[in-house]
Amino acid sequence: MAQETTYPPVQRQVQQVNPIKVAGACLAGAFIPGLGHAFLQKWDRAIVFLGCVGAMFALGLHLHARLFNPDFADFFAALKFIADAGNGLLYWVCWLRGLGVGEPTAYTYDFGNLFVFGAGLLNMLIVVDAFDIAVGRKR
Amino acid sequence: MNDHILWMVVFSFLVSLAFAFLTKHGAKERLKYFLYLFACFVFFSILAGWLMFFFPF
Repeated sequence: MAQETTYPPVQRQVQQVNPIKVAGACLAGAFIPGLGHAFLQKWDRAIVFLGCVGAMFALGLHLHARLFNPDFADFFAALKFIADAGNGLLYWVCWLRGLGVGEPTAYTYDFGNLFVFGAGLLNMLIVVDAFDIAVGRKR
Repeated sequence: MNDHILWMVVFSFLVSLAFAFLTKHGAKERLKYFLYLFACFVFFSILAGWLMFFFPF
């Protein structure tokens, strides 16, 4: 007679997610690069992300980049605006102050735009990373 | 300061550093991944530049 084996019930590790913590980390990161990680007390990452994104944005403006306006009439202009706006307050403060007019005849104009787009898109990834840490998917 | 190579290297440095911190844990792991990414960025950028040399536009 075969003996039936009994297994202990599978225990799922359920972690309590604090929605305020998650929203706070994501919003902080979206406004200021690295602040979401600082909110989660990941200080090393926060400093590096603020340094990298801030430096890329500043170098982009130094290289005569243009900060694209919120223009949704043209698809590609909208994509450029979304990439720029990924920088959060860095973009909005500079845009409102009239910086980043852009100089298409400048030798480094394309490189400047690349730096600003890269910084914005990188910051979006950083916000996703902050979200993953806040919900406990990542340490 | 109008050197495209210089700005490409600066861009590669900053993006590689951010990605190393984004994806890896521990100083040694991050350093290895940073160097790998940085080398890939610079190498493939120069390679792409040379490949574009043959395009007439």
